[in-house]
Amino acid sequence: MSSHQINLIVNGVAHEVLVPANRTLAQLLREDLGLTGTKQGCGEGDCGSCTVLLDGEPVNSCLVLALQAHGHKVLTIEGLSQGRELHPIQQAFVEQGAVQCGFCTPGMILSAKALLDKTKRPSQEQIRKALSGNLCRCTGYQKIVEAVSEASRRLSRERS
Amino acid sequence: MLLPKFDYHQPRDVAEACRLLAELGPAARVIAGGTDLLVNLKHGRLRPKALVGLERLQELTGLETGRGRLFIGARNTAAHLAASRSLGGGLKFLAQAAGCLGSPQVRNRATIGGNLCTARPAADLPPALLCLGARLLLDGHQGSREVALSQFFQGPGLTTLAPAEVLRGVVVPRPGPGCGGGYIKLGLRRAMEISLVNVAAYLELAADGRRIAQAQVALGAVAPTPILSPRAAKALMGQTAGDKTFAAAAEAAAKDARPIDDHRGSAAYRREMVRVLTRRALQQAWEQARGGRGGKK
Amino acid sequence: MAAKYDVLGSRAPRLDAPDKATGRARFADDLNLPGQLYGALLQSPHAHALIKRIDASRAKRLKGVKAVLTGQDLPNILYGVSPARYDEEVLARDKVRHVGDDVAAVAAVDLETALEALSLIEVEYEPLPAVLSVEQALAEDAPIIHELFPNNLCAEVHQEFGDVAAAFAKCDLIRGGRMVNKMQDGAFLEPNACIAEFDQRGNLTLYSSTQSVHYVQRTVAMVLGLNMSQVRVVKPYVGGGFGPKAAATPLELNACFLAQRTGRPVKMGYTREQVFLFSRARHQFFHEMKIGVAKDGTMLALEHRCTLDGGAYSSFGIATVYYAGSLLGGPYKLPNMKYDGYRVFTNKPACGAQRGHGGVIARALFEQQLDLIARELGMDPIALRLKNIMQAGDVTCNDLNMSSLGMRECLEAVQGGSGWSGKRGRLSRGRGIGMASGFFVSGAGYPIYRSDTYHATVTVKVQEDGGGVKVLTGAAEIGQGSDTTMAMIAAETLGIPLSDVRVESGDTDLGIDLGAYSSRTTLMTGHATKEAAEDAREQILQALAEELGVVRGRLSVKRGRVKIAGKPVDIGPLRARYLKEHRGWTDQPTGKELSFREAARVAYLRRGTIVGTGKYKPPVLGGKYKGAAVGTSPAYGCSAQVAEVSVDLETGQVFVENITDAHDCGQAINRTSVEAQMEGSVSMGLGEALFEEVKFDANGRVLNPSLGEYHIPTIMDMPQMKCIVVESNEPNGPYGAKEVGEGAIMPTIPAILNAVYDATGAVIDELPLTPERVLAAIKKASQNKKGGRRKG
Repeated sequence: MSSHQINLIVNGVAHEVLVPANRTLAQLLREDLGLTGTKQGCGEGDCGSCTVLLDGEPVNSCLVLALQAHGHKVLTIEGLSQGRELHPIQQAFVEQGAVQCGFCTPGMILSAKALLDKTKRPSQEQIRKALSGNLCRCTGYQKIVEAVSEASRRLSRERS
Repeated sequence: MLLPKFDYHQPRDVAEACRLLAELGPAARVIAGGTDLLVNLKHGRLRPKALVGLERLQELTGLETGRGRLFIGARNTAAHLAASRSLGGGLKFLAQAAGCLGSPQVRNRATIGGNLCTARPAADLPPALLCLGARLLLDGHQGSREVALSQFFQGPGLTTLAPAEVLRGVVVPRPGPGCGGGYIKLGLRRAMEISLVNVAAYLELAADGRRIAQAQVALGAVAPTPILSPRAAKALMGQTAGDKTFAAAAEAAAKDARPIDDHRGSAAYRREMVRVLTRRALQQAWEQARGGRGGKK
Repeated sequence: MAAKYDVLGSRAPRLDAPDKATGRARFADDLNLPGQLYGALLQSPHAHALIKRIDASRAKRLKGVKAVLTGQDLPNILYGVSPARYDEEVLARDKVRHVGDDVAAVAAVDLETALEALSLIEVEYEPLPAVLSVEQALAEDAPIIHELFPNNLCAEVHQEFGDVAAAFAKCDLIRGGRMVNKMQDGAFLEPNACIAEFDQRGNLTLYSSTQSVHYVQRTVAMVLGLNMSQVRVVKPYVGGGFGPKAAATPLELNACFLAQRTGRPVKMGYTREQVFLFSRARHQFFHEMKIGVAKDGTMLALEHRCTLDGGAYSSFGIATVYYAGSLLGGPYKLPNMKYDGYRVFTNKPACGAQRGHGGVIARALFEQQLDLIARELGMDPIALRLKNIMQAGDVTCNDLNMSSLGMRECLEAVQGGSGWSGKRGRLSRGRGIGMASGFFVSGAGYPIYRSDTYHATVTVKVQEDGGGVKVLTGAAEIGQGSDTTMAMIAAETLGIPLSDVRVESGDTDLGIDLGAYSSRTTLMTGHATKEAAEDAREQILQALAEELGVVRGRLSVKRGRVKIAGKPVDIGPLRARYLKEHRGWTDQPTGKELSFREAARVAYLRRGTIVGTGKYKPPVLGGKYKGAAVGTSPAYGCSAQVAEVSVDLETGQVFVENITDAHDCGQAINRTSVEAQMEGSVSMGLGEALFEEVKFDANGRVLNPSLGEYHIPTIMDMPQMKCIVVESNEPNGPYGAKEVGEGAIMPTIPAILNAVYDATGAVIDELPLTPERVLAAIKKASQNKKGGRRKG
């Protein structure tokens, strides 16, 4: 099996790693870089728990080869908050009760981040569509939608 | 879930890709977005010795208009197509279909090339492309050829793509005013669904804005491949657009469907849904076509 | 008016939410131990087969393989959930009973090697005819799945309360119906995972994704032949359970055996497909009911029969078959009730407990029939229910005591909240509104094994510096929010802010707790937490009273400040002493009142570490009849829901547009968490109503073992929900609190069924409501009614 020298930026930090061809981005993040905030719920792109942002766009890291991330920027849940300070989306998830078991939460928050980076004040429908690849079995999604809405309000206030 | 072992090749251009594929033979598979292939690898349904990645092939990118045609590079992702302004007017239903594929995460990786070359009977993009008379540009070891999409699919997972060929892109004619398309996907959930039945319809209205000058209806998940419905097209051509014509076309489309029973649904239900969805897709297409001519409902 | 409580009833953010939102929270698969090996399981491809021979020699020779186990290598011992039905082997010795039954286990230096080793194990099977349905299982010459159960009958129940035959003779209207669902999957997002490690003295620590560290500890100890004290089970954060994670798994047991054999930590995990093959989720139920009422709508009698497809093992199934009958005892006054239940073995993955254990499909049919009865009597469905509901203090015919019951409040809340009166009977065809009620236990009255054990013991340890307390409990935070609930109860009881309370939970070293199932934690662990906090509080205040030379009765703590009743007391010396101890610190206590911190510090200085303990065991409850233990609970939660749907009359697609939900949870401990449980319950109910079904092929293989093809609701499928929290005061609950985690699912399926009926006139007796099934039912209903449409 071939191995590949790759360069990628994870949460703002440049990494140069040698990966076997069959390593997924999820494995690279979880096992090689110790970023276990990226969860593995199915391994086949059905649940969205392993969502990370690849150049700002949400992808299932279980279905991306690590070597395909060569030359790209990856944002994981660990890269969102600054030290102890939560990102406004995280803060909204905490305060609105959008977190239960927490297994879908990192992926959910990253999908929300990708949405809010592009759409400042999304409608309920836009929020639902943007999170439609992230399954949650605990919440019924209502508080998640409310949290993303609340986060968009906060981010708009912060910007103005 | 682990991936099996394989070598990975990253050719820099199409020529190198074709050469590599020719060298590696049938033990190699092409990978673009990987959303379908990697799942199959994890389940052991495919065991290629080598993957040939297309990520460096610039020839496969681009979404360009020229001489009444639109070239869609094979590496365009579903997300890109769904959001693309190039897919407006009579091409909007293709963007709509791209927006129904998988999930946002999958759409960010899945490519139009992959959606066609995996040849799934229920795939989202083929019906609209079939309606549009899409042609595929295939680059091979010994040169290039063009093939109609309607000739491309051979069966579930099977196409006429030769082992050492790469799909460079898809060419569709640019519809003029008076054209409209519709796409409807029927599944259990409102997201992340494999179609139980999907239908695309395309209409081109004559200058009078009533008579149907050109029409196609394409069906997914009701035959071993996505198919055009010649009977539906025939029922539409030259007729006055409207409920009665569409109902007749829907009946005709149901006759062309060859569904099977499986755990997702019965053949009878699928056939009936072809009827319902065809009518609705035609309605969508008609509304858009009339809108394009500045007509009012 | 001042709020009754300082902490309880608030919307305090969950303690674990910041860690979960930043990816810091560790789940089992996030843990790694130095030198760990990776385990993997070889599972049967056959639904029913004899094992003739296993040759693992090639696997054992593979480089990197450290252990290979087959059934012959393990003690010959059966385990399971109910001791009366131990019927599982850790690895099959002679026979496999479902596709996915475990046959061999491997530990190797990495997962790749472990999986390769599995492929080198040769198993010679002699396939037997597979039993894949209840009918096949009960047929005269059916193949036998367990020698101990020659009729393939795992359990049967026959109960009669009152005189059903006599009651039916007096009924003015008798209606009957049937309902069948499909086998479910828990579909929690986190696949089961664990790591087992032995120390040099032979003590075992198992980190596992479980709902009950206690039951796992007990089973592991029994199967491995260890004392329970030698086995510590630790639950990291768990990514949902909903029932199927409530008992020990072959995954856990094999990890323990492999760790014992190799002397190294062994990590194992199920793939998503293996989660489906292990299953232990909702059974398939075949219910038939006959309900009799008087012409004014008074319920008089129920005759009920249910057969459950249990799959290959008993699991929680004995409880399931009892619950399927007993949970119809309320929330309506039903004086006569007869139930015959049968749980049948088949060659499919074993079913067990899932949210709303045993009662969900029975409730669906019962509430559907009530709507049809209401229609025949010309009554509003809510009026019919209001006429029959129980009130606090009522006892059901099967001896369940409704010590509190806000059923009327729930019904009125959804009636008003949904705009029922303006919508019912006024929606156009294709749109419908429906409602249903439900109730559920607030903790099983008895443990799953016969014992006088406490159901929960809790320790509240006051930190020696006085700065806060720690709640130590074996309770399982699996996402429902129990850590936060216990912290809030402790804070309220001690009179301190929530921020001063930390919780350590889910560890058998911390106490006995039966775990997160039967909606027991708030009530049971809550009681023990309250008692432990009271104990700690008393010790602190007693010590403080001695120090200040006042009687204990004059002291109390509120919001972290010590209140001294009566004439002023000089706190100067005590404060001076504290300040002297903390020279240079920046957060010195100020003000005229002593802080809790000073009081707790003084208590430590006088008495050593202050540790409060609490315990809970339900009082003797319920009837004396056989099976009375199942359904008996110290309290019952209840709920009502209204669903609004639109149905595509041409495709049969059902879209749930709105849900109005009211639930009586007693005193809400955390209002946000109560709503969260309600909303989550609705989504699981909606999934079961519309989508969810584990499908099998003719050989007993699961056709859809993935979250792509086993459809749980996405965010696009969930409607806006209006959740109304109804708070009765439960005398048997801590601060009047009781359950919300499972009862809230009860009305969802029937409310949707009733709304679909309202929209289409179709009575549907099979779940899920796939478009195809709904369309067929609509057509049938139209044919039956020819021309006499209810709606235009």
